Amino acid sequence: MFLIDRRQMLALAAWSAAASKAYAQAPMHPQERELYEAAKREGEITWYTGQYSADASEAAGRAFNERYPGVRCNVVRSTSQVAFQRLSQDFRAGVGQCDVFSSTNGGHYIQLKRQNRLVRFRPVNADGLLPILRTPDPDNFFQSSFLGIYLMGHNTNLVSEAEAPKSWTDVLDPKWKDKLAVGHPGFSGAIGLWALQMRTMFGPDYLRRFERNKPQVGRSSIDPVTMMTAGERSVGVAVPSASTLFAASRGNPLKLIYPTEGVIAALSPSAIPTNAPHPNAAKLFQEFQTGPALSTAVRLLFNESIRPDVPPPEGSRPLDQVTMLAPTLEQAERGVPEVREQWREIFGV
Amino acid sequence: MSASARPARFRLLEPVMLLWVALVAALLVLVAAPLVKMLLISFEMQDTGEFTFENYLTAYGRQRYIDALRNSLMLGALSAAISTVIAVPMAWAVSRTDMPGKGFTWAMVLAAFIMPPYLGAIGWILLAGPNSGWINVTWRALTGATDPLVNVYTFTGMAFVIALHSFPLVFIFVKSALDLISSEMEDAANILGGGTWTTMRRVTLPLVWPSILGGFILIFLETIALFGTPAIIGIPARINVVTTQLWQFFEDPVRVEVAAAYAIPLLLITVAMIGVQKLLLSRKGFVSQTGKGGERRQVKLGPWRWVLFGWCLLVGLLAVIKPLTVLLQASFAKAWGRGFSLDNLTLRNYRFLLFEHDVAPQATWNTVWFSAASATMAIVLALLVAYIVVRRLMRFADVLGFIAMAPFVIPGIVMAIGFYAAYAGPPLSLYGSALLIILAFTARFLPIAYANSQAAIRAVHPEMEEAARILGSGRLHAILRITAPLLKTSLLGGWLVVFIVASRELSAAIFLVGPRTRTMSVLLYDLSEQGNFEVVSAFGGILLVITMVIVGIGMKLVGRDFMLRRE
Repeated sequence: MFLIDRRQMLALAAWSAAASKAYAQAPMHPQERELYEAAKREGEITWYTGQYSADASEAAGRAFNERYPGVRCNVVRSTSQVAFQRLSQDFRAGVGQCDVFSSTNGGHYIQLKRQNRLVRFRPVNADGLLPILRTPDPDNFFQSSFLGIYLMGHNTNLVSEAEAPKSWTDVLDPKWKDKLAVGHPGFSGAIGLWALQMRTMFGPDYLRRFERNKPQVGRSSIDPVTMMTAGERSVGVAVPSASTLFAASRGNPLKLIYPTEGVIAALSPSAIPTNAPHPNAAKLFQEFQTGPALSTAVRLLFNESIRPDVPPPEGSRPLDQVTMLAPTLEQAERGVPEVREQWREIFGV
Repeated sequence: MSASARPARFRLLEPVMLLWVALVAALLVLVAAPLVKMLLISFEMQDTGEFTFENYLTAYGRQRYIDALRNSLMLGALSAAISTVIAVPMAWAVSRTDMPGKGFTWAMVLAAFIMPPYLGAIGWILLAGPNSGWINVTWRALTGATDPLVNVYTFTGMAFVIALHSFPLVFIFVKSALDLISSEMEDAANILGGGTWTTMRRVTLPLVWPSILGGFILIFLETIALFGTPAIIGIPARINVVTTQLWQFFEDPVRVEVAAAYAIPLLLITVAMIGVQKLLLSRKGFVSQTGKGGERRQVKLGPWRWVLFGWCLLVGLLAVIKPLTVLLQASFAKAWGRGFSLDNLTLRNYRFLLFEHDVAPQATWNTVWFSAASATMAIVLALLVAYIVVRRLMRFADVLGFIAMAPFVIPGIVMAIGFYAAYAGPPLSLYGSALLIILAFTARFLPIAYANSQAAIRAVHPEMEEAARILGSGRLHAILRITAPLLKTSLLGGWLVVFIVASRELSAAIFLVGPRTRTMSVLLYDLSEQGNFEVVSAFGGILLVITMVIVGIGMKLVGRDFMLRRE
């Protein structure tokens, strides 16, 4: 759990969109400029990502292209487990295609680091991140690029706020049978973290009891947002706050639920694989992700800013007022594959 | 080797011999090598390469994995059965009766064929989701019922959706067989006292039994190779099938060896099915072409012709009109769940794809040129092989024909894993390259091209070529100036069919694409992961428009029934 103090929060609120824009166009520091010159010779960078939604990933890619003309960002967006699967296939085939790898499942980085598959690099901009995100790896093989909040949401036409579940264990109540929707830990990294956290907090029986309510299983953690929007299911479990707020902003009857125990926080890094075909562009992209330009681009689509100098998105609860639950990266490395297998035994898919 | 021996040897080497060698090499690369490689690695330890049975034990060591295999077989059988029930009456009606609306029926069959199955699946989620699907919403509003009328997230729901986009294959097979039966056989039955229905049941349909069975088997094989529909409908419905299970073996750590071991029995099942087909058809005669002319009259159905038309209309509604309508609505909607209203209309989804999405335009281009390249390669290869086989230019020519047809009985996903095993890694390291995808598509659809070319060449009597050769033309010259022009139309038809099936191909592509070589179908799959159906629908719409433009051009050049020319 981490806290920003009130004074910092007030300072954040004072930021206007214009100020953010100025930050996105902020002059490059020497290391960044040097990398940019080298990256221009490489011309492009390929980004495997499962962190931000498709819209926000594309927005981030465009923000990169605007800030660094002459270096093109290829956005390859999928769920995190699928992105990792593609990276593993690349390694297995001995073909380097990915320059920067971004997954919501932090365990991936522990594994890649142990396999000596990551490049050691610390972007200068990382010093300006939120304190808890500044040093995810003391050896600097990976750097923070994403802070995702996963909680519950409900369709306000189908379930009133009073009736809606309040805690993670409320959804085990049989009255929610056929009303829930959730992603899949075999595809979504965040759902892997969520399932692991639930197992840790409530014991191994949690998933089995959850299954009895026959939740609709999608692939991405964002899928339940669609199911709620459509009215197919009334409550989404472990949905990302950003996509839910984004859907609500388009006029859909959705509302967030902050579970009493706390929200799942994916504090997720990005890293450069050793077989990256454009190593300088990859480093430049890490500077971009840790710098203000990324946070400025994605906050417009309701994602959390990962820097104190870029204000948080509108409509989400300030981070200092929520309890954040998260397995450590080491727990995730071992635990997520385990819980994924357990999930498949219970759910059949 | 002495200098004088050389020319003598070369004199024995006819150019056609060189061609033969080149074709053998091409077929080895495309068909034989991936399969052999897959068979080999299924017995290899991952790291050491030692011989082992371990992969088979892992692949079949769990109930869940065996269930997936059983589910696939049942799904294949059910989808094929539904397709047959849908298509046979339609084919009979269009081929042999005076049913009205034949043009409309044709258009519906063609549209159902062009529509990628995963797009149809998304359309049907919007239609038959138990709570939000339009059909169920309407049903509840009309009757006040609380239970849904239809639920797409079930085994039968999934089989039905697959059948709605597979039945055109049965239709094409059966109709072309029916077109060849002369009315004399039916007349004979009538004279002996059989009515229209008895005749159809006892005489006409049994005569086309091989085509029905052939169509059934093809759909069975296509269904067990499908990846998109099981991922989109099967996961929420909690139905694991072979393809989604194979996908799991590609999770980290990538276990290609286990995937190969898991896929090999599919080949055995396929071989068994072909065996059963042979057995069922043996010792019976299906000769409908006697060479004694015979006219073909339309059966007069009276009022029943409207019943049959109703059936075709219903199929058209379910397979094309309804899913297309909801997909179109979703593609222009801010939120599809909010229905048809003016304030829900937006162009945002199209704008996002065309102007804001990094790879959507590139994926579109990839799809067009990969499909065109593989269609061209498949047709050229098939034409050469078919020419050698039909004209019996070489000994062992039939072997070539056999290899060219082999992918017909290999589920597409098995083919893809073979390609991954053989060419993705060192020494070639083709993983993610355009070449690998084009080769895989070429191999996968070679049988369609081959069947097409073979039929086309058979139809050209050798006399015409011989005449040219007597007048002093070389073989190549004769082919170029005489045979090729005669074949142009039917080859273009075959090219179109391969182009269409390649443009919607997902199950092979998903294992082979890289970041720069994603096709529209793979991107659609990635987009559908988030359940963002508005954008997915818009992208599907773009894919359909592109395909329709190309089919439209093709129909101008070839004629409306180009799909039929393969028989």
